[in-house]
Amino acid sequence: MRKPKSVSFQIGWNACINCGACVAVCPHDAGFISPFDTIAVDQPCDIACLLCEDICPVTTITHTVVEA
Amino acid sequence: MQENYDVVIIGSGPAGTTTARIAAQNNLKVLLVDKKQELGSPIQCSGAISHHGLVSVGVSPEAEFIHEAIYGFDILNEKGDSKKIDYRQLKPDTYGAAADKNPLGYVVDRRRFDRYLMTQAERAGVEVWLKTEGLNYEVTSDGNCEVQLRRFNQELTVKTKVLVGADGLQSQVGKWAGLTTHIKLAELASCLQFIVDQVETNGLLEIITGHEWAPGGYAWIFPKGNGYAEIGLGVARTMTEQNAQWHLDHFMKNSFFKERFKNSKILEIQGGGVPLAAPLKTQYADNLILVGDAARHVNPITGGGLHTALSGGWIAGNFLGDFLASKVPATAENLKRYQDEWLVALGNKMWKLYGIKSQIFKTKDITKRDQMLYQTMSDYFSPDSEFKKI
Ligand SMILES: Cc1cc2nc3c(=O)[nH]c(=O)nc-3n(C[C@H](O)[C@H](O)[C@H](O)COP(=O)(O)OP(=O)(O)OC[C@H]3O[C@@H](n4cnc5c(N)ncnc54)[C@H](O)[C@@H]3O)c2cc1C
Ligand code: SF4
Repeated sequence: MRKPKSVSFQIGWNACINCGACVAVCPHDAGFISPFDTIAVDQPCDIACLLCEDICPVTTITHTVVEA
Repeated sequence: MQENYDVVIIGSGPAGTTTARIAAQNNLKVLLVDKKQELGSPIQCSGAISHHGLVSVGVSPEAEFIHEAIYGFDILNEKGDSKKIDYRQLKPDTYGAAADKNPLGYVVDRRRFDRYLMTQAERAGVEVWLKTEGLNYEVTSDGNCEVQLRRFNQELTVKTKVLVGADGLQSQVGKWAGLTTHIKLAELASCLQFIVDQVETNGLLEIITGHEWAPGGYAWIFPKGNGYAEIGLGVARTMTEQNAQWHLDHFMKNSFFKERFKNSKILEIQGGGVPLAAPLKTQYADNLILVGDAARHVNPITGGGLHTALSGGWIAGNFLGDFLASKVPATAENLKRYQDEWLVALGNKMWKLYGIKSQIFKTKDITKRDQMLYQTMSDYFSPDSEFKKI
């Protein structure tokens, strides 16, 4: 599957344990972080490495493609 | 009017509180901020720390934050073969529950531990602001820097000579200075742990190795006081298709401990990321140093970061005392001395551990890798380990 150019993330807030692991693997510069210590959900991500989805211990990060 | 400090510290975990306390004891004017309302919460830590790790940085073991005393380890392989390293038997004159003996270590409650450490910092003269988020920093032309903060609803800036990033695993402070701080997926263990009732423990930290149960990491069972226990594990997501939650379920239902776990009742769910990685190569910038998880001061074999956060804070606090007394400009070039001191005291050994860890997880053959990890863990926790104090 080809990697999309830009995605926006959704988080299942009930499953999320606020552990911050997604932020720790995120290669963005400072600021790609939500008020709940997760990766940002209010701005598109134009790296789209999707490492945050892998590291999440409860697999509760999903994305929609903004630009394929 | 804008307040002036010698040191502003972002993050009031074990690293930040210790840096703050020691800096204040060195007569510095210190501001410590944390965005949380209750430190240590939600818990992202199992809380195991050695007696030595506490007392060596001037923290006395207090009932206020201790869940349970620990006397040794039980290292298990994938089949459940066990190597007990019980210091009550190995060194009965030193370790034990009697009043004239010491425990080897403790399992602490991070909510109470972090609050206790903050209290000690406050008593040493540190000003602490909770519900205060660090937003950015800027070096100013007079050789100091301005730190932008949000305290409750109010945005404000404070002036300081040196900013300390003690903001943990998800550190942003280093990124403000353009440092590369994110961790490779292969080197961040994805962890989940349950606090449970009705699982018996015996004063030992149990470490279960083996690809079958925790690929790229290990599983553990820790005593948690009041008859409770913690069952947890961390996995490297580059070595498994499944997430930590799936692996924990698999371990509890299908391992050699399934009978032991049969009646367990889950009381709390916690988790997090543990860097099994090398320390940051650059832990300083103009007017800035990093300490604790933010600088990746974490043991790459065990994932333990409490002792290293406390000793890193001790080193940072004492360094800042000397450094600011010497009136040298707080440029990156001059602040490099902090990292040099840290490398001598702790870091070089951590780099060595990282080498050992990399060797194990590079091994493709699973049986061989399992053996290597089991052996390394057993050696690591033995009384004559060269890494005993890390
Ligand atoms: C599942 C798990 C189990 C673990 N078990 C153990 C164990 O048994 N033994 C052990 O030794 N280690 C363990 N560790 C590691 C240990 O928890 C960490 O190494 C340790 O907490 C690091 O301390 P710290 O002070 O560097 O950071 P933290 O404890 O993470 O503190 C950072 C603080 O900074 C604050 N902060 C972050 N950003 C900002 C901001 N922008 N503004 C203001 N405040 C901010 C946070 O709110 C937090 O309070 C475990 C970790 C995990 C994930
Ligand atoms: S990794 Fe998952 S559980 Fe942890 S903070 Fe991110 S979304 Fe939440």
